[in-house]
Formats: sequence, structure tokens, C-alpha cells
Amino acid sequence: MAFFNRVSPALVEILNKLQSGESLTDFDHNLYEYGSVRYNIQASASSPQIVNLSTWMPPLSPEFSSDCLPDCALQDVKRVYLDSAEVVEPSKQGYMLTLRIDFAELPQRKDRMKAISEISSLHAVILSSQMKDMLWNLEPRYMGNGMCNPIKIVHQLKEPFFVIKMLEKTTVIYPMRFKDDTDVILATSFFQELVDVSNLEAHYKAPRCTWSPIPPLELRGEPFQYLTTNGGFVSLEIFSQHIRGTKADNTVWNLLTFVSYVKYHVKQCTRGFIQRKMRQRQESLTEVIRSARIRGDEDVKKHQIGGHKNVKKLMNFSRSKMFKKRYTIITNKIKKFHYRIKIKWLLHRFRRQWLRVQKIPLLRKYRKLD
Amino acid sequence: MATTLRLYLTCIRNTLEAAMCLQNFPCQEVERHNKPEVELKTSPELLLNPVLICRNEAEKCLIETSINSIRISLKVKQADELENILAKKFLRFLSMRAESFQVLRRKPVQGYDISFLITNYHCEDMHKHKLIDFIVQFMEDIDKEISELKLSVNTRGRLVATEFLKQFI
Repeated sequence: MAFFNRVSPALVEILNKLQSGESLTDFDHNLYEYGSVRYNIQASASSPQIVNLSTWMPPLSPEFSSDCLPDCALQDVKRVYLDSAEVVEPSKQGYMLTLRIDFAELPQRKDRMKAISEISSLHAVILSSQMKDMLWNLEPRYMGNGMCNPIKIVHQLKEPFFVIKMLEKTTVIYPMRFKDDTDVILATSFFQELVDVSNLEAHYKAPRCTWSPIPPLELRGEPFQYLTTNGGFVSLEIFSQHIRGTKADNTVWNLLTFVSYVKYHVKQCTRGFIQRKMRQRQESLTEVIRSARIRGDEDVKKHQIGGHKNVKKLMNFSRSKMFKKRYTIITNKIKKFHYRIKIKWLLHRFRRQWLRVQKIPLLRKYRKLD
Repeated sequence: MATTLRLYLTCIRNTLEAAMCLQNFPCQEVERHNKPEVELKTSPELLLNPVLICRNEAEKCLIETSINSIRISLKVKQADELENILAKKFLRFLSMRAESFQVLRRKPVQGYDISFLITNYHCEDMHKHKLIDFIVQFMEDIDKEISELKLSVNTRGRLVATEFLKQFI
């Protein structure tokens, strides 16, 4: 779920702590997120309201340098953080960007909260700007046979996806891989629903989706390791209307987090939902078998006793199993015989003789847990 | 309910009513041991002929009877891959919780999806007709549950896909 959130919760917590002035010593903290994003947060005791935030993340595409931020991203960062932070040039060694945040310039608590929330989505801003640059500005690169050269993008490690830029549209192709066979089947049914929904008239403005179990033609020529999948290939066709104006940020972030979104849906939502339904059905089936018992009421009451499992076990242990077994054998024998006279006194006698067990009131004093 | 399913279940019910005549029978080979003979199959004189009831190629029920126990193995309908994994997951879930069902076997017989083992002790503790009702209702519920699960998974997928695409509009 953290992948969908543009705001980094760890950064929010650290920046909140710093702006409240809780830390009285020099603060130098390194933070790692999503396996590849590095942050360094520094604040000194002499000026606790000034915080330096440095970041490094792998570039989305090999076309971008890994040492410094691309110009497009730098311009976007300056524009977004115009009011809340200042870009320090040159950046700290080993990092591609350093921001200087002065909380003293933001006297109101509301402004500080807003600034912290914006700054904590730095990762999303940088990635979105790189992706927007690729979707808007890169010229389509045609191969000899009229097909466009795909651009490989690596957002999460080992799970690249491809962008094919053409004049009228941009196609984003996701090779889908899952570890579990069950996930493959659940995901395949999800992709089929996605394709059906995208072809509906009500969603004609949404990107067109296709799914294919084999690599599409556009990926011909790519290394074999990128084309071996068990979940097939999902293609999304993005047109200019999807990356115009305010929709651009949303579109770009949805494209970047598509794989995580699918895995979250398959793993947590669907599998969790199936588990819940199975549990409910199991309870209804066990009630049927319980009602089949000849002495069904006693056992139903036993199962209905709430409270601690350990206390229940102690209570069962305190009644002698031997006496209970003898009583069961005798009552079964009695049921087989046909008595005309009532035998309540006989049972009562046995009950008095064999089943006199001291009550242990202490054990019964327990609170039913809800 | 489909006519064929009703006939299939009626046939199974009648067979179980005839087969479930169990009595206590101590083990002939080991002293002071009492084992379900249908599992051991060491003494052929204690075993009855197994009965296989097939609804179609995919659904069948095997009823093996002995003097003191009866084993019922079921093969559940699985039309496609999704039903296959849902059935497998669900039946495995139930088998892992076999102690709450008492008559359920933890591991199904080879070639089947789920198995029950009913002994003479179960017949003494429970009503025979209710045991048979349980088995028949179990078969109906399994089919119903798997169909419902498949529908729910597809409906859920459609809703998620709609929500995803709405973000682009």
C-alpha cells in the first residue's frame, strides 16, 4: 500500500519531529525506501529550524544520468517547492538533489504541515517529472521496419516496463511476473476484466487496455530475460488527452504504480477476501455436523462458552475423564434396554456417586473477552 | 437445482443409507487395537465392494465400506483454471481444519479432492440420517461456494478495473 502513496510516511515523521524542536542535538539521519531510494536528513543544534534534505534514486531510464538530476526534474522541483524549500547547488556529495528547508519562514502550523507533506512526496515529484518528459518531449525513435524503439523504464527493481512513443499515442507495456501460480490465475482473470471494462462505451475516454500471453510485436528485439513472464503482457495506450493539464500527474503516477497496484489487488484484496469467505462457509458447515450429535445441546453449549482457551482447558482437566467415560457407557447401555419403569432414580444415584466433583470457583472467575 | 445433480445426490444418499451399517470390530491382527478396516485393507473378508458413482467425467464419488468404517471420496467439478484453484484452496482449507468436522480426512484419497472417514464411533455419537444429510449438504455447499467465489472474484476484478480506469478520465 505504501507504493501508491505519493507521500513518504517516514519522512513526514522525521520532519515533524524536527520542526517541533524536539531534537536538541545535531541530527544526521539516513533513510532507505523501496530498496533503492536514499534520503539524508541533516539539522544542527545551533539552527534546528533549518533542515537539509538530500536524496538519491536510480533514474527511470538509462537515458537519464544517475549522478545528477535531469533538467526537467530540477525545473519541476524548483517550481513545486518554490514556497517551502530551496534547492542547494551543488548537491551533497553522493546525492543528486539537496533541499534546504527553513521552518522559521513558515510561522503557521498549517503552512508547516502543508510544506512537510509536499516535501515528503519528493520521490513522486522527481519520478513523475522524468516520466512526463519521456511522454511529452522525447521524439519517437523508429527502427528500420517502421516500428518504434521501446524505452525501458525501471521503477521497482527487477520489474522493468516499456514505453513506446509514437506520434499519436504512447504505448506502455508491462511484462507481468508472479511468484505463485495462484496469483497468475487471479491476475489473468483481472486482466481480462480490465480489457472488457476498457472496451466499454462508458470508458471511451480511458486508455485502451490489451492483454496478451505472448510478447507483443513492439518488444521484438528486446533481451530474452525481459520477455519471459508467467502473467502475460498488459498494454496501455495513452493519448494526449490523458497527459494534459492537471491530469498529467495522476496519469503518470498511475502508470508508475500499475504493477504494484495489480499485485496489491491480487495478493491482499482477492486472496484475503477468499480466505474470509472460506472461513464463513467453514463455520456454517461445522454447525451442521454439530447438530448431528446425539447429545447435540451439551456440546453446542460447550462451544458457546466464551473466555480464555486456557481456562476452558483447565476446567476440562479438573473433571475426571474416567468418571465421565463411565457415565457415558452406563447411559448408553441404559438407552439400549427398554424400561417400563422410570429410571430417573438410578441415574440420579449414579450422578450422585460418580460425578461429585468439587467446584473450583476461582477457575470460573474469568472475564469473557470480546 | 439441475436434475442430474438431484439424481446424483439421491443415488449417493441411497448408497450411504445402505452402506452405513457399522459395528465395533477390534483389529484381528493386533491385540487390543481397534482400527478402521477400510483404511488398512488387510483383511479382505471385512471389506465390502467399493461403489463408484459418476455424475460425469469430472465429478464422481467413491464409497468404500468395511465392517467398522466407511470412506467417502469426492471429486468436485472444476470447469476452468480459476475454479480449479478455488476448489483446491477451499478443500485444502477445510482439510486443515478436519478436527472441527470430525468425519473429515486430513488428506484426500489419491485421485480425489476430499475424503471422509466415518467409523462406528461416529455412528454411536451421531444420528446416522444426519450424518448422511451432512455429506449430501456438504457436496451441495461446495459446488455453490465455488461458483459464488468465482463470481465474487470476477465482480471484484471488474470493480477494481473500473476504479483504476476512472482515474484517467
